[in-house]
Amino acid sequence: MSRPGTGGAGAPAVVFDGVRVVRERRTILDVPRLALPADAVTVLFGPNGGGKTTMLRLIAGLERPDAGVVRLAAGAGGRRDGVAYGFQEPVFLRGTVRMNLELGLTLRKVPPMERVARVRAAADECGIGHLLERDARTLSVGEAQRANLARALALGAPITLLDEPLAAFDRVGRVAFLDELAVLLRRRAGTVVLVTHDREEALRLGDHMVVLVAGRVRAAGPLRAVLERPPDPETAELLGYTVVVDGRGVTLGIPPGALRIPRGAVPLAPGARCFRFRVERVLEVGLETRVRGRILTPAGEVATEIALLAGDVPPVPGEVLEVSAAGCVAIGS
Amino acid sequence: MRDLLAAFARAFDLLASGDPALYTIMARTLVVSGAATLLALLAGVPIGYLLARRRFAGHTLLLGLVNTGMGLPPVVVGLFVWLVLARSGPLGDLDLIYTRRAMVLAQFIIALPLVVGFTVTSLRALPERLPDLLRTLGARRWRMLWLLAREARLGLLAAVMAGFGAVVSEVGASMTVGGNLERSTRVLTTAIVTETGRGDVPLALALGLILLVLAFAVNLVLTWAQTRGSR
Repeated sequence: MSRPGTGGAGAPAVVFDGVRVVRERRTILDVPRLALPADAVTVLFGPNGGGKTTMLRLIAGLERPDAGVVRLAAGAGGRRDGVAYGFQEPVFLRGTVRMNLELGLTLRKVPPMERVARVRAAADECGIGHLLERDARTLSVGEAQRANLARALALGAPITLLDEPLAAFDRVGRVAFLDELAVLLRRRAGTVVLVTHDREEALRLGDHMVVLVAGRVRAAGPLRAVLERPPDPETAELLGYTVVVDGRGVTLGIPPGALRIPRGAVPLAPGARCFRFRVERVLEVGLETRVRGRILTPAGEVATEIALLAGDVPPVPGEVLEVSAAGCVAIGS
Repeated sequence: MRDLLAAFARAFDLLASGDPALYTIMARTLVVSGAATLLALLAGVPIGYLLARRRFAGHTLLLGLVNTGMGLPPVVVGLFVWLVLARSGPLGDLDLIYTRRAMVLAQFIIALPLVVGFTVTSLRALPERLPDLLRTLGARRWRMLWLLAREARLGLLAAVMAGFGAVVSEVGASMTVGGNLERSTRVLTTAIVTETGRGDVPLALALGLILLVLAFAVNLVLTWAQTRGSR
């Protein structure tokens, strides 16, 4: 589900040009050239410490690059009015939720009536409309995170930056809010740049994806294109693939959850690949049974896990099976 | 005990009599110490902000100086200011020695490290991301400083109390740079010293009690504001 007519075409919302950031003699970000599309949700994805938050801070003007420049689209209206930032940890000033949500609008000289309407709309969208008169410092973690998001969205800025908006939620709250956030981001106009290290969040929320590892962009483009053509094994593993080198020396990515233990005479799916798999452990995880083991190829062994389907007979540790996977991609091709 | 009771009675009589000389000294005390505290706040809060939120060359040295200054002996400050403002001193031409402005300057120097020190502590207690948040919401430099000060108001009120408490009760600096001139620079503390020297201990004690009541009244107002601010 992507926003209608979003991203790709037209002028980009943000351009990184020859940007380098050095901290304590260590390069933490090195982006020769990167354009983030306007009117789309771009996910900055990668492991912690990869430079994702630094990119957001550069866009917001909270940091300056040691080299290069970060340009915003002409229509963004400058960093002060053009950018809204939802920080990872919700921070509130003394006062009610309403006062906190209104502060940015007051500072941006939005007329009082419009302020009230925008705060109400953003609070309702984020499910905190009933909490507006509460002391902001008494909110629960989940409520605070919603209020944090509402404060950023209320600004109605052309570019909205969200840093790990789901990080503070517990598992149940995260699943529920992920659904809401996906709908909410698609309903709103404007450009969103969202940081996450969680693959599922990235896939659910993004139209475009930038994969950042150790301060360098490994892949960038429409979400599907990045997913279907991971440029290198490390990026593929980050995206959830199990990476193996087959008998012909081709590096393959097995999509997450694609490995299956074939049942009897059931034919393989078209294009499916077969691998030898040595069982190491059989794990009962709640109602699910998972088989942990290693894929065996002439180039070596790769650890992975296969979820058994209902009715599958659990294998025995030490057993070597023939397993199959559909949808494998060639990496770096 | 009898002396103390007599002092209470004398203090009450003095206040009730409406003696203009006494009320002038009380007002002068409040104005001089109030002005010094206000100036210390105006200078001390931005300095405290820089020390709390920025790292720069000499940061640790400056913080060490501030911490040392929090225990600065008033009489030493008075001596230093006297040397600078005395007729033969580098700023002697300004003709400030033995004036209320000289007393304000000396008391400002005493109060400044206290205000800076308390400001640093209270700003460091704020969430680290708060300045970034305010910037992204659209606050420019002075508005941000104001909003941060509002957030740290409990600590800043403590800074006012500490600063005012220190200067309203000091005698060494006021005596040295003010000269304790009866019609222009005499304040409650220097008046106490004068009356003790004259042997009028009950009057000195009564003035001491009035000073305590004055300091208590100011601190009561600040404490009330602090209690309200914590809600």
